[in-house]
Amino acid sequence: MTGLVGALVEAWDELRVHKLRVLLSLIGVAAAVTAITGVTAAVGMLGQAMREQTERWSGRETTLTVSAYPVTGSGDAARASEAMADVVERYSVAYASRVGWGQMAVELPGGTQILSGQVVDPAYGVIHRIEPGQGRWFAPSDADRLAPTLVVNQAFLDALAVPDVSGHPTVVLQGRQGVLAEVVGAVPDQYPGEPPTYTVLTDQVERWGLSVDPWGAGASPPALELWVPPADVPALRDRVDQDLRAALPGWQVDVTEPVGEAGVLDSASRWVIIAVSGFALLLGGLGLLNIALVTVRQRIREIGIRRSFGATSGRVFFGVLLESVVATLVAGVVGVVLAVVALDALPVDRLLGTALQDEPPFPVSAALTGLACAAGVGALAGLLPALWAVRVKVIDAIRY
Amino acid sequence: MLELTDVTRSVRLADDRVLHILTGVTLRVDAGEHVAVVGRSGTGKSTLLNILGLLDSPTGGEYLLDGASTRRLSGRRRARLRGESFGFVFQQFNLLTGRTVLENVAAPLLYARGRQFWSRNRLAAEMLERVGLGDRLEDMPDRLSGGEQQRVAIARALVRRPRVILADEPTGALDVDTGTAVMTLLDDIARESGAALVTITHDLAVAARSGRHYRLADGVLVPVTLVSPDRPGSLAEWVGDVPTLGASTDGAPAPRAVPAGGAP
Repeated sequence: MTGLVGALVEAWDELRVHKLRVLLSLIGVAAAVTAITGVTAAVGMLGQAMREQTERWSGRETTLTVSAYPVTGSGDAARASEAMADVVERYSVAYASRVGWGQMAVELPGGTQILSGQVVDPAYGVIHRIEPGQGRWFAPSDADRLAPTLVVNQAFLDALAVPDVSGHPTVVLQGRQGVLAEVVGAVPDQYPGEPPTYTVLTDQVERWGLSVDPWGAGASPPALELWVPPADVPALRDRVDQDLRAALPGWQVDVTEPVGEAGVLDSASRWVIIAVSGFALLLGGLGLLNIALVTVRQRIREIGIRRSFGATSGRVFFGVLLESVVATLVAGVVGVVLAVVALDALPVDRLLGTALQDEPPFPVSAALTGLACAAGVGALAGLLPALWAVRVKVIDAIRY
Repeated sequence: MLELTDVTRSVRLADDRVLHILTGVTLRVDAGEHVAVVGRSGTGKSTLLNILGLLDSPTGGEYLLDGASTRRLSGRRRARLRGESFGFVFQQFNLLTGRTVLENVAAPLLYARGRQFWSRNRLAAEMLERVGLGDRLEDMPDRLSGGEQQRVAIARALVRRPRVILADEPTGALDVDTGTAVMTLLDDIARESGAALVTITHDLAVAARSGRHYRLADGVLVPVTLVSPDRPGSLAEWVGDVPTLGASTDGAPAPRAVPAGGAP
């Protein structure tokens, strides 16, 4: 025990005394560890950003999309809605949303306009990671409110001649009878010149008869999105498909599962990054080896003096080796800290073009890998000087 | 405690000749004894000290430490014995650069075990207090005078409470007055701790402080008696020997030392 502690104390003392040397020799190692850790973390963030972007369009990774339509060309949309609601209840799906498109007559300051919009349930916001820039997304209680609520785009607000949603703007929707709806949230326009659009809850549309059918095409049944645990995807896909086919004879039922991680950086590119960082680490290690060899030659006398104190050759070997390992470990820790600070300071949303909803955790495994690599490089770089130090004859060393 | 019997030490040179440094040294040092060895430079004094301190091994003969042969000791065991039993004082002090005075004195305790290891800073501070440097603990050695540096070296040699102190020209780098003060301190501390003191010197005044005196010549250790510490005479009267090349020692100048018991 005292041997190990003593060797550690000795190694630390050496580093303390030769601060400048250590600092210079370890810059490469620290930089390489920063690169390994930082790049791995950045890749994780980039991957997450791409994943979230994809999920905004197509829903979370394990979202099943159910669509049903009559083969004959006409069918009871309400019956389809009911069958879908039964499925959601039967399998206790926590996040499920009907998804459809519709048109409503909206009374704007410039006159009544027929506007297209999306008709969903509150869980749609969770499934599609929607975070309105202003106000809020629908709460489950909104479905039961007497007055409808709307989440609109910026163009809708502009048409309404209100700057934002802080004043709880309202708008009259024409349905079976006119109803005053409150705008609770707003999202940015998705592209310049986007027309005014809105999202409204399915229950409210049904309650107030808000849908208009200017072309007389008839109501089409909504699709259903189910965000389910990954392990349940295959089983639920089959069961939902069977249940709906049984409940809707003569209907075409499609249950599609996600196609996999779209747009996420593949593991090959990650390995390329790690390989490049590893090479940088190796170069740092060579610099360390070079300086370690030179300084051990300068320290022959000291090694001899320590041998006169009773240092065994094993202790001398271990001490010199440990010096190198402790140094590179310290450099590794510095590298990891630098990576953390750098990633923290990075304007991720500006760089990635979007704010991350679920920021990936700091890649501890990458940090540990970086530290292990640093220690390994330290051990390799310390091996030659340590062997050399042991071969020095004590009496020659003292006289050196 | 230390017993050398017909110890020889020779080394093979690069041109394959054999250099005989010690050709038959017999010496016994008991606990608490103060012994001085004098001899001209190159006569093998340091080699003798290195053998005594287990830094080097004899080529022939027997070295008994506490009655046990040191011949078959492993490197690890030799190192441990060296750390536990011997304290070295060098001519050039050999303090560790970049370390404070306290760290220098505590350094040997890094190789100790148990309480000595864990209390190393306290023990080092106490020893520095004893050599009169209690107020210089955090100073760097290069800010001390030569005499102070040697006092640090003495504190370092004694901090593990060795049974034998091996001093190789301890006053060689000091002026006369400082050397006298340092030797007085070394003698006193060695006496206090009950450690044996083997001093190698070419300074007869330093040698005169010891209880027994030897002269190393022709690779052989000869007991001698100093005539008077006040009239030590010149070194040339004592030694004229150099290590011989080859097996023969013929032709080496005869020593002109006063043999033990033959002093006028």
